[in-house]
Amino acid sequence: MKVLHKIESDFEKTIANSGSETKGIRIDNFNEFKKMGIPTSKQEFWKFTNPSVIKDFEFTLGVTNDFEDDKFDIVIVNGKLTKKTDNIKVNDIHGSLGEKDISNKIFEKTNNPFINLNNAFSTDGCVISFEDNVEKEISVLNVIDNTASKQITYPRIIVNAGENSNISILEEIRFLGSKDNLVNSVTNFDLGEGAKVEHVIIDDYSENTYHISNVLVKQKRDSTFSSYNYSNGKKLARKDFIIELKERGAHCDLRGVYLADQKNHIDHHTIIEHEDEHCTSNELYKGILSGKSTGVFNGRIHVHNGAQKTDAIQSNQNLLLSNNAIIHTKPELEIYADDVKCTHGATIGQLDEKGIFYLRARGIKREEAQKMMMRAYIGEVLSGMKNSVAEEKLLEKIIENIPEGD
Amino acid sequence: MLKIENLHASVEEISILNGINLEIKAGETHAIMGPNGSGKSTLAQVIAGHEDYEVEKGSIEYFGEDLLELDVDERACEGIFLAFQYPVELPGVNNTYFLKSALNAQRKHRGEDDIDAMDFMDIISDKIKLLNLKESLLKRPVNEGFSGGEKKRNEIFQMAVLEPKLALLDETDSGLDIDALKIVANGVNAMKSPERSTLVVTHYQRLLNYIVPDFVHVLVNGKIVKSGDKNLALELEEKGYEEVIKEANE
Repeated sequence: MKVLHKIESDFEKTIANSGSETKGIRIDNFNEFKKMGIPTSKQEFWKFTNPSVIKDFEFTLGVTNDFEDDKFDIVIVNGKLTKKTDNIKVNDIHGSLGEKDISNKIFEKTNNPFINLNNAFSTDGCVISFEDNVEKEISVLNVIDNTASKQITYPRIIVNAGENSNISILEEIRFLGSKDNLVNSVTNFDLGEGAKVEHVIIDDYSENTYHISNVLVKQKRDSTFSSYNYSNGKKLARKDFIIELKERGAHCDLRGVYLADQKNHIDHHTIIEHEDEHCTSNELYKGILSGKSTGVFNGRIHVHNGAQKTDAIQSNQNLLLSNNAIIHTKPELEIYADDVKCTHGATIGQLDEKGIFYLRARGIKREEAQKMMMRAYIGEVLSGMKNSVAEEKLLEKIIENIPEGD
Repeated sequence: MLKIENLHASVEEISILNGINLEIKAGETHAIMGPNGSGKSTLAQVIAGHEDYEVEKGSIEYFGEDLLELDVDERACEGIFLAFQYPVELPGVNNTYFLKSALNAQRKHRGEDDIDAMDFMDIISDKIKLLNLKESLLKRPVNEGFSGGEKKRNEIFQMAVLEPKLALLDETDSGLDIDALKIVANGVNAMKSPERSTLVVTHYQRLLNYIVPDFVHVLVNGKIVKSGDKNLALELEEKGYEEVIKEANE
């Protein structure tokens, strides 16, 4: 595999320049990654997303060029922090380890080779720490400069939300080019007791991009994590959300909209670990697919032994605008407690022609009527957002990108 | 205004209309009555421009132009309004937003600017009183969670806002209690003008006590078998369709 060869020599350089505090753990991660190799679609977890398509690519470590956008509080370019705000504590990983805002534990190896690879490489990163009881709205621009070909980048964002903090983060992932880059990102959220975190992702379209992303969330007692995730199909896009409801009363809302057209691909895997009693989760993902695109939704809910009074709701709905678009949707429930409520449902359909006729019978043109119907379809996912600026921006982006039907 | 000649239409190769002739002049109210499956609703749908129906023969002229050349939204913009027998629920589409989009689409078609927001609200609050609808329905998604009566009144409310030239009322009376029926009829009558025509499709004579037609036509097997004035509706009520059809055939 060509890809490993190049990554290996890049790793040696990276490790030589990294701080001593993480050297051991990074090497550990890299060895684990090498041992596991790049997964193939023979593995169930990667059934509909085959990362081994990159195996013959020689990716070079992405460099960080200057990039500015005043509208954002924090700017990260190819994984490196380039703009901070005085408003809150923002630091790179090296600095944060030094000040003990984060510990090495966050980089412990996992059973996911891409998380391990990010652990091995993400020396810069961005750590955002919110103190107890603060109330903040911040915006993060996560720039992928893919104007050069065959680069690999490892963005890493770590968010610590103190006890009873109330936070809304708008993260825009912006691609500057359209070259065949591999983006392997990891985002960590650590929610203290009673913390409320809203995370809005606007992940723009980018041709020829291979995007693998993992959002890892750990929640303490009575905390709430609300994710509004908008994704565009790419050459390959695999986005995992792993939520650990570790203590009683924790709640998460996972809401997502995905769009794909042409031959693009978008895969979401969500895993919700109900580890303690009285935790609740509510998940709603909707997709609109056209052309020859492929969508995947795999929603796993794992209710641990003793996690009584769990209440988990999951729904995945899909609109197919063409005969050649494909969606694979699968709920996965694993329940080891006996007093729980878990519901799940998946639908695949077309736009409601009766509704379109009704709108047209009032004088609205077909194209506009279709847009109104799709807007309504998506509106449900975004309802309940706290950050109205982010909501408007998100809706606008989605409407702009809704694929054309056949 | 509307001139239908020898109209034949089918759906999925089953012929439903078998030679309809009908002329509606400006300001007139016509009622189409007939037994189940006679093609009453199909006629309304074909005039409105539903694409599921195939027009096989005949013509429809509207103000001297070929109506069949126009798509459903173009017909609406030209002033044809279909009050649906089964109004469609549109989850997530706000009722006010929907009405404003419809009104502006029609204004755009006429070369007018979008309606001023304040003017729009004035029209809305004026017309909603006419139909005795709760203002809160405006903030709800179109028809979602509306009662049967509210849905029908909402249709006439839309008609009052859009001010069509030709209104097609497709069994607007079905599912209405007597009070709601009066409200709906009042709404329709309030809009009566020498320029506006109405085609009422109904099973029962009851509605025609309130919306008084100038002409009544009996439709059987996709053909108008008998036409008359409002007394024909009373006759139908009294004798039933079978008797009237038999007489017509003699």
